[in-house]
Amino acid sequence: MAGMTKQGIGSILAKQGILIAFAIFMIGFALANQRFIAIDNISGVIRSSAILGVMALGVTFVVIGGNFDLSVGSMMSFSTIVVLDLHDKLGPALAIPAMFAMTMALGAFIGFLVGYMKLNSLIVTLGMLSAIHGLTLTWSGGKNMDIADKAGTWFSIFGQGRILGVPVPILIFLGLAIILGIVLARTPFGRKVYAVGGNGQAATFSGIPRARIVFLTYVLSAFCVAVAGLLQASRSLGSQNTVGQGMELQVLAAVILGGASLMGGSGTIFKTVIGVLILGFIQNGLLLMGLAFYVQYVVTWGIIILAVWLDVAAKRGRLWSPTA
Amino acid sequence: MDKNEASILGGITLDKGAFASVRDTEGWEVACKRDKIIDGRNQRMKVTLKAALVCTTAMFATAAAAETMTIGITQNNVGVDSYQTTYERAFIAAAEANPDVEAVVLDAGGDVARQIAQMEDLIQQEVDAIIIWPTNGEAVIPAVRKAHNAGIPVIVTNSNIAEQGFDFVASFSGPDNITQGARAAEIMCDKFKDMGIEAEARVVQISGQPGYTTAIERQKGFDDRLPEVCPNVTLVETQPGDWNREKSQQVMEAFLVKYDDIDGVYAGDDNMGVGALNAAKAAGREGIIFVGATNFAVGYDAMAAGDYWGSIYQSPVDDAEAALKTAIDILNGEELPFLNYFDTPKITQDNMDEFTKPVF
Repeated sequence: MAGMTKQGIGSILAKQGILIAFAIFMIGFALANQRFIAIDNISGVIRSSAILGVMALGVTFVVIGGNFDLSVGSMMSFSTIVVLDLHDKLGPALAIPAMFAMTMALGAFIGFLVGYMKLNSLIVTLGMLSAIHGLTLTWSGGKNMDIADKAGTWFSIFGQGRILGVPVPILIFLGLAIILGIVLARTPFGRKVYAVGGNGQAATFSGIPRARIVFLTYVLSAFCVAVAGLLQASRSLGSQNTVGQGMELQVLAAVILGGASLMGGSGTIFKTVIGVLILGFIQNGLLLMGLAFYVQYVVTWGIIILAVWLDVAAKRGRLWSPTA
Repeated sequence: MDKNEASILGGITLDKGAFASVRDTEGWEVACKRDKIIDGRNQRMKVTLKAALVCTTAMFATAAAAETMTIGITQNNVGVDSYQTTYERAFIAAAEANPDVEAVVLDAGGDVARQIAQMEDLIQQEVDAIIIWPTNGEAVIPAVRKAHNAGIPVIVTNSNIAEQGFDFVASFSGPDNITQGARAAEIMCDKFKDMGIEAEARVVQISGQPGYTTAIERQKGFDDRLPEVCPNVTLVETQPGDWNREKSQQVMEAFLVKYDDIDGVYAGDDNMGVGALNAAKAAGREGIIFVGATNFAVGYDAMAAGDYWGSIYQSPVDDAEAALKTAIDILNGEELPFLNYFDTPKITQDNMDEFTKPVF
């Protein structure tokens, strides 16, 4: 940083408004309760954000490609229930690939409808939200699903294990974020996702197979959901059918908070990760402050809007913009 | 009304040992053959398992008694969870076992509109009493009023309707969530006394979804009772776990960071209680007493493993039998309290052998 001019720093700050917001919240919460910045707490928050985070990575691709995915919450319930049920029937070694195959088949189905059939993604995934919920209930008969022998299975490694002292969910989340970040920013596929989301017609005319790219973003999103379901199932070794309910909106909030445009064509994996962490730390910070929980709902969304505002303000270099 | 006409109108009608016809809300008709006689108008058959069950019940009831009471029930959403599935099975069994009762068993599938239609069907059939497990505490009130105005007593089961509908309800049969909360406080306090820490123990609470009556009542029962039985135990904080194991685990993780000294955790149901237990285990914090309300299978298992201290046992079988008995008592003209609760006993590691493992 030593040789950098003032202007250089300024433009970096302008690009990273969301980081500024993140830093401000972290300092604020740390002042309110010093335990907030205890290593245990920080690692705990990142670990429990990992499930939401992994899902947000996949949805980032879908959103950049110009579409919505509202089905990820109930799809996560599905993969959690399925892998828990199959764990006792087939054993974990077979249950995991079977669950991945089924979840990705759902993603492929959505991708087919949105990509090749050109149906509106909002309607398709909203419909799939409740259709997949029904599928999950049918599978389980409405029952909570639990692994019988909780102590004697290696399956718990994904959600509860540690490698060199770092919780495995954090490693999976960050590892996947790095891989997908490279895929999005540095590969032809990633560039095509931006192109399709930025201007679908132009992309088509330049020979980019729009339908296939959209299809692949949904398969990728379903893959991430399957990873999230695996983490969830392994973390609690049992689950109710509604475990992912409502998460689709939190995921979308994290992605948008990270600065991805709902119109498609912009956003990065790194910023999505920051968006996920902001959501996780807000929730944890408010809990540690011991705020009455009815108020928490209001405050959470107040903070999110504040973060989006700081991001936009930093980009345009002004706090508000009455004209443009 | 002629019996054959009635069979076309819907629901179940029984001709003295001749036939029973069931039409569910989808409009399918089912004819149940008894002896050799089939009614000519009911040739079109589509037998679902549920309809078949209803037929058995109905026929059994007709065969047994001359002076019978017809009790209709419209349930919330059978099959969505094991509690409701077990409830229905128990209700049918209880109705079968009683020779004076004919049961018309319907299920709204979670759909308010369908439940209202079912209420109207039951009113049309002039059943003697209607039991309703509301799909929605507000939306079903007009249908309940209609039944009331038609002179049919309505019994609400499991979860009550909103207060403005109380005038049209003969009785509510269900669990008392305030008592569940209060008994959980007693279980917790007794355990602290055994351990000799009742003078200093600190407790956190993980409540159900904010805004839900069940959540509010279970919290109130606990909050009010704990200082009565254990005045020196401090309830340091309450946060919602939204009936969700994962959310509860996150809340407990934050509690563990925030408080170095936690002796007890009370959760609004066992699902959340086990989530909190998982958090404590992962953090390596031992010796915390976990108490829930509404014993789930997962809580029962954790109790058997010695990790979880106690809960409140709420049986769907008791729930169903209490609803039927309330309806019968009303029809027999007995005086009942408006809120007619069935008993939900305490279950702890000490007495869990007396209870079977919950099915849900």
